[in-house]
Amino acid sequence: MQNPYVPYPVVVDKIITEVDTKDIKTFRFKFVNPEDEKKYAYIPGQFGELSIFGKGESPIGIASSPTQKGYVEFTVMKAGVVTSALHEMEEGTLMGLRGPLGNSWPLEFLQGKNIVIVGGGFAFTTLRSLINYMLHEDNRKRFGNITVIYGARNPGLLLYKDELAEWAKRADLNLNVTVDKGDATWKGKEGFVPAVCKEVAPNKENAVAVICGPPVMIRFTLPVFFELGFSKENIITSLEMRMKCGIGKCGRCNVGSKYVCKDGPVFSLAELDKLTPEY
Amino acid sequence: MEKRLIKKDALAGIAKKMTEGFLVWAPVKKEDNVIFAPLGKSDEPFFSYLNSKNAPKNVFFPHTETMMKYTRTGQGMAFSSEVKKADKSVLFGVRPCDAHSFVLLDKLFDQEKYKDEYYIAKRQNTTVISLACVTPPYTSCFCTSVDGEPVSSDGADILLTDIGGDYLAEFITPKGEALAKYFGDTKADAQADAKKADIAAKAKEAIKSKIPAHEVKPILDVNFDNPFWNTIHSKCLACGTCTYLCPTCHCFDISDEVKGSDGVRIRSWDSCMFPMFTKETSGHNPRSSQKERWRQRTMHKFKYYVDMFNAISCVGCGRCVMYCPVNIDIRKIVEDISKL
Repeated sequence: MQNPYVPYPVVVDKIITEVDTKDIKTFRFKFVNPEDEKKYAYIPGQFGELSIFGKGESPIGIASSPTQKGYVEFTVMKAGVVTSALHEMEEGTLMGLRGPLGNSWPLEFLQGKNIVIVGGGFAFTTLRSLINYMLHEDNRKRFGNITVIYGARNPGLLLYKDELAEWAKRADLNLNVTVDKGDATWKGKEGFVPAVCKEVAPNKENAVAVICGPPVMIRFTLPVFFELGFSKENIITSLEMRMKCGIGKCGRCNVGSKYVCKDGPVFSLAELDKLTPEY
Repeated sequence: MEKRLIKKDALAGIAKKMTEGFLVWAPVKKEDNVIFAPLGKSDEPFFSYLNSKNAPKNVFFPHTETMMKYTRTGQGMAFSSEVKKADKSVLFGVRPCDAHSFVLLDKLFDQEKYKDEYYIAKRQNTTVISLACVTPPYTSCFCTSVDGEPVSSDGADILLTDIGGDYLAEFITPKGEALAKYFGDTKADAQADAKKADIAAKAKEAIKSKIPAHEVKPILDVNFDNPFWNTIHSKCLACGTCTYLCPTCHCFDISDEVKGSDGVRIRSWDSCMFPMFTKETSGHNPRSSQKERWRQRTMHKFKYYVDMFNAISCVGCGRCVMYCPVNIDIRKIVEDISKL
């Protein structure tokens, strides 16, 4: 049995600078031992521990979809010791990857439903995983209408720009990209995410909203969905806490009796209501 | 169950004899303290102790432990995992409250989905010999309030009980029976059993400190926001002594250390009492003051662990009560919660 504390060796295969400020990059990893890729079978919404020896580990949501074979991607903001070291790395460098960890977006629950994805800023990463998973030809018919509402502060801070352009061409996806403030070249929507949600007004019938973003966005977006008639069972989100082990033992990421690393990070609002408000 | 009688003064000799085949952790006097340490050739085990200063959890869960090693290569760090083959060990003469803590720690480290091989390897290779408390060691002992007893075999492979001139040795598990040969060949009779039962009842009776530990769970369920939490922490220094000495506290940190081209990833004890414990890179801290940290420690022991594993995560050893530098008393806290 795999020792859950020991990472799989991976190589940094590709680095994509996502934003104008250059502090958010997507790292594509390939497994050194090809058989490890099978062991790393993940579901959108799970996370991994990026492991840089000599620096430590950082828990990051998986940004690629399991339908993308041969590699796994993480979009990482330069913030602390580990992520700063990661941002200094070059393609070809050897490092470690643990996981996949945590529960996931509830794919079985989402099946057959109309899906509304709401993302803000840098928190779009595991939502991108879910979108790419649902849009894959093997999976698309398992889901109803897909509506995506994604916002960033300005056009330069939008992640996955090439992919957004591809998605925009699809007829089976209602894509709404917005920025708080556009620039000279921006031709898309301007406005905050909650306002755009109000304008798009997704129908609550047989629908689930998957919402992930900064706390301020969540705070103003939730009332919009309540007003549209979405129940708390049908609003799903993902939590973040400081983590070390990622497997419910080191004792720091618990919210009440639940470990965010092991029992989360994904919870419905109905589930969150039952947890102690300490996150 | 196999039971034997051994002369009281034979105990130290048995422990020393075992060092020939085992790594023997036994209580030894170090300066003013009695602590559990590997017994060396010239060391004398000390069995007339009340309780050890440290909880012997470090036998399975050391203060600091290497998890893996790595070396710098041209391409980056290459690593190798390090689950050392655990030495065949004996933990000799541990108090029943501390042996009870191992049962509680097993629930966490030996779960079905994620097994902690570092802990499990040492636990499986260690035989636990409990030394019953025939007289209550301290007035701060409250094991009987938290599913323990002064004469209890919970968590033990062998239980030793002082029944007057002799120790009654009871071999509880096959692991314990495998060591029976060290304990002579005097079979215990029914008289010894009767003596033990009498002593056990008296010892239990003698534990005077009682807390309503089993009553507080439903109260904690609905009192997360009670103003009660606003004051219990006010004299706390956040020194971490309570968590360091606690037999059931298991929180740890994982960190990397590099020297030249080589390095190790280690885990070391951490504490929910420390401000940095939950502080995130963004600066956000979900447990931002000592109030939240004290609520976490109390809730973890008397509610969260019960929710998760159906067991209170406190063994009533009283170490946190005795050694808290500002006299915060968990017994008083539980008592007060029961009145909320």
